[in-house]
Amino acid sequence: MTTITQPRPTAAKGAPAAVGAKLFNRLCAVCLTLFALIWLVPFFWAIATSLRSDGSITQKPTSPFAGGWSLRAYSYAWDTYPIGTWYLNSLVISALAVIFTVAFCSMAGFALAFLRYRGRAAVLALAAAGLMLPSEALVLPQFIEYRSFHLLGTFWALILPSVAAPIAVFVFQSFFRGIPVALIEAARIDGASWWRIYARVCMPLCRPALSTVAILTFITTWNSFLWPLLVLSQTKSQTVPVGLASLLSNTNIQYAEVMASSVLGFLPLIAVFLVFQRQIVQGVATTGIK
Amino acid sequence: MTTVVPTRPAPTASAAGVPTGRPPRSERRAGVLLTAPFLVIYLVFLVGPLLVGVVLSFFNTTTVKSGLGEWVGLSNYAEVVTDPQFWDAMWHSVLFTLLTTPPLVVLALAGAILASRVRRGRVFYRLAFFAPYVVPSSVVALIFLWMYTPEIGLVPKVLGAVGLPVPDFLGSTSGGWTAVTLMTLWWTFGFNFVLYTAAIQDVPPDVYEAAAIDGAGPWQQIRHITVPLLGRTTSLVLILQILASLKVFDQIYLLLAGGPDQSTRPVIEYIYDTGFTSYRGGYGAAATIVYFVVIVAVSAAWYGLRRRATGTAA
Amino acid sequence: MSGAMARRRLLALGGGLALTGGLAACSSPLASGLTGSQPDTADVIFWNLFTGGDGANMVVMEDRFKKTHPGTSVEATVLAWGNPYYTKLALATASGTPPDVGIAHLSRLPLLAASGLLEPIEQAGLGELGVTADKFTPAAWRKATVDGTVYAVPLDTHPFVLYYNVDLARRAGLLDSGGDGLVPLKGAQDFLAAVKAMKTAGGAQYGAVMSITADPSTAWRYFSMIYSGLAGPVVTDSGTRIDLDGEAGQETIAFMQRLTGTGLMPGNLNGSGANALFSTGKAGFLFDGEWQIPSYRQVKGLRFDVVPFPALLGPEPVAYADSHALVVPRNEARSRARTRNAALFIRSLLDNSAVWAEGGHIPAWLPTQRSKAFLDQSPQRHYVRAAFNAQYDPAAWYTGAGSDFQSVVGGTIIEALAGRLTPKGAVPTLRSDLKRFTTARPPVTMK
Repeated sequence: MTTITQPRPTAAKGAPAAVGAKLFNRLCAVCLTLFALIWLVPFFWAIATSLRSDGSITQKPTSPFAGGWSLRAYSYAWDTYPIGTWYLNSLVISALAVIFTVAFCSMAGFALAFLRYRGRAAVLALAAAGLMLPSEALVLPQFIEYRSFHLLGTFWALILPSVAAPIAVFVFQSFFRGIPVALIEAARIDGASWWRIYARVCMPLCRPALSTVAILTFITTWNSFLWPLLVLSQTKSQTVPVGLASLLSNTNIQYAEVMASSVLGFLPLIAVFLVFQRQIVQGVATTGIK
Repeated sequence: MTTVVPTRPAPTASAAGVPTGRPPRSERRAGVLLTAPFLVIYLVFLVGPLLVGVVLSFFNTTTVKSGLGEWVGLSNYAEVVTDPQFWDAMWHSVLFTLLTTPPLVVLALAGAILASRVRRGRVFYRLAFFAPYVVPSSVVALIFLWMYTPEIGLVPKVLGAVGLPVPDFLGSTSGGWTAVTLMTLWWTFGFNFVLYTAAIQDVPPDVYEAAAIDGAGPWQQIRHITVPLLGRTTSLVLILQILASLKVFDQIYLLLAGGPDQSTRPVIEYIYDTGFTSYRGGYGAAATIVYFVVIVAVSAAWYGLRRRATGTAA
Repeated sequence: MSGAMARRRLLALGGGLALTGGLAACSSPLASGLTGSQPDTADVIFWNLFTGGDGANMVVMEDRFKKTHPGTSVEATVLAWGNPYYTKLALATASGTPPDVGIAHLSRLPLLAASGLLEPIEQAGLGELGVTADKFTPAAWRKATVDGTVYAVPLDTHPFVLYYNVDLARRAGLLDSGGDGLVPLKGAQDFLAAVKAMKTAGGAQYGAVMSITADPSTAWRYFSMIYSGLAGPVVTDSGTRIDLDGEAGQETIAFMQRLTGTGLMPGNLNGSGANALFSTGKAGFLFDGEWQIPSYRQVKGLRFDVVPFPALLGPEPVAYADSHALVVPRNEARSRARTRNAALFIRSLLDNSAVWAEGGHIPAWLPTQRSKAFLDQSPQRHYVRAAFNAQYDPAAWYTGAGSDFQSVVGGTIIEALAGRLTPKGAVPTLRSDLKRFTTARPPVTMK
């Protein structure tokens, strides 16, 4: 595109404008960087606090370099709270939710994209209506339903509701739509079953949709709070967010220990985010914008 | 997470080359079988609770006891709609929405526009703005509770140093709202930022180039090109924001526990208090349904408006 | 139940397929999360809500159990006090994964018991271990009984009591001839005169102080104690009927205002203000719960003692009180061996409750209450009588420690103490406060 505009003489008007634009852009960069630095303050503050001793914190709260550094708060936090168990629980729950969501929703998305069968329109309408359903608001009836199924206190109580994600079905469906029909027909003519076409032809082609759904399911399941708070009550069967919430208290004066626990709560996530940041951001953008 | 996908009318010739008419049995069977796992879970675990909620709202169910309890007709509803505390809680949810939505939309738009002018450091901005979004609410609350601690927290210290009055963040109603708003801003800003950034990237670059050639400065480009083109995104961001804010629970519960004196308690916490703390399952279900109707009305109104808007535009 | 078992097996199968078998087997909370079985991360899972000094004492008692029962492991979890704790206890029990032993306030017992969340203590095998009615403070045992069945083992009684500054009392001529106790006070007049003497003859800034502002529970305890000398519970029929005696209410508030309205006692003072005034000898009396004793003990140069409140408006002294009690949340799947461990643990806590008394609480277990280990503790031994005059919150599904009921009704009392409501004006306000609770449909029927 630049090749088209380049040869055109921009004359006298262009040069100062370009300088102005450059200056403007630089100004933008400064503003944005400032903004971003402010955004990072809570993280750094938590890390700085976690490395200090409680005594020096209360004496000189805002001078993070007073009183030396130590990792004592971390060893205390790790020994006092079963953070490792909480991580394992969160990991298992989120991983199972991802596996089931990807499997079931892609199957449904495939069927809705390519197959004609009875009830297809009804399923579409139902799922579309589900997009408007604020499931977080339904925790009370949900609790009572799960109680009668004897699912409370199990990880399945957290996994099943996240599998029922109409949004994931639509992400897959719209992605499958982009696959050329000729490809499917060719496979049909070769005698491939529908299952084979789904599993061997279409799924390998829809990596981006898969990663979008997987990442978003993972984040939402990992971070959900109210429902796990209600469903998993035994200390050692809790997830990371609910477990760490038990440290919240106005009267707690073990600042370093609490911040060490928070750092243990966010650092692994930030690390994962750094690795997958492109996919995560893309995932959020595509599901939001479509 | 609510997200929106257009639901185009199902194309009758989805498999375009296949002749219309009755599809073969194998195709019908595959369709049903492939849809079934999702459909069953969806019906049982998403639609199910809604129906259960409707049924429960007519009974005096005890949350922690099995069985429905006695039939009480519409009296739960009568009690909900005449309980001033329920409407207070509804108002708090709306107030939270009013407090957080404008800054979240405006700041995210501003941030995304700024970012569009900057070539380098994309990853850094992404990390700074979006990373908070992947952190669980309870961790965010732990950090902010510490930063808000009177006398020794970072925020009171900084405010004090620049000579601003320090609100009682955790002990007063207005301070509590300030605390929750700031924390929510920090936590969820990145989501809107990403949506806007993606939308700006969708604007074809030649539009700007053409404008630059016509002598439009950067400010004019933003005002006359970027902002108008983002109208659709803004409407999407707005509705996502409103729906998410009306469902607020985590931040207020964790930071303030709905206090002081229930003056910040959102409606979900009202349902939590009546339904779980007081075991009044049937009553809580009635409150759920009333609240639910409001939420669905809001989203339906938005869908309707959007459909009409796109209808006239097309 | 067999259906549930089959389903659980099915789920376990699914979990086993999804996970590598080794992972599920090596970590038992994980396995129980997938199968829904009772997590058995320890032989006794114990939930309580104690932090600070009480928390430390509880740890000592747990350690003593571990020492005397070396083969039995204990996992203790401390949860946030008040509603969050009770919500969690109830939901965990409803989910089939409750702790084996939990702490509950007796004032909270009616709802827990009526909802079927607790194992009667007889069925938990505590009777066989000698945990019987004759060994407990009668008032606490009575409150642990709901509808004829005992659902909790009282650990202590913690009454609202009268603190006094010994030096100021001496100057005010309020010490008895022996010099180590307060002169007997009989009725409202005596009491008012004593408070006045603290201020005038004793030279204190205030005759008495208590935490009022933003502390509705303390205000409610104070009101409830005085009012109970004149009339019965403010709500009856399991909390569905308002039984507020208007005259008694007016008289109670008028009495309270004779202290706050005359400068004898500040009408708006928060907890730390009351603490500062009493700690520095600027107040003669302090009205508060005995659980504050450990913190006042640490104040250098403060000599204080604690006695039960005398009879104020009625013929008999009344002590507003609550009790911490031990409960066994119901769990169909709990094995006999686990139940046995839970019972042994409870019995051990009772036997070691002299440690618990260091927090100011009166042991409900009479063998401890009469033991030297307790009787050596002062001022604890001075207000044991309060446990026998204990007046608890009225039995209802919404009352009890940390409940909305206390904060709402207490809020009105705060207004009266601050002088913003007259005795005449306060009664209708109280009535409308109560109406908010009595007209709501109870989640369970209680007899």
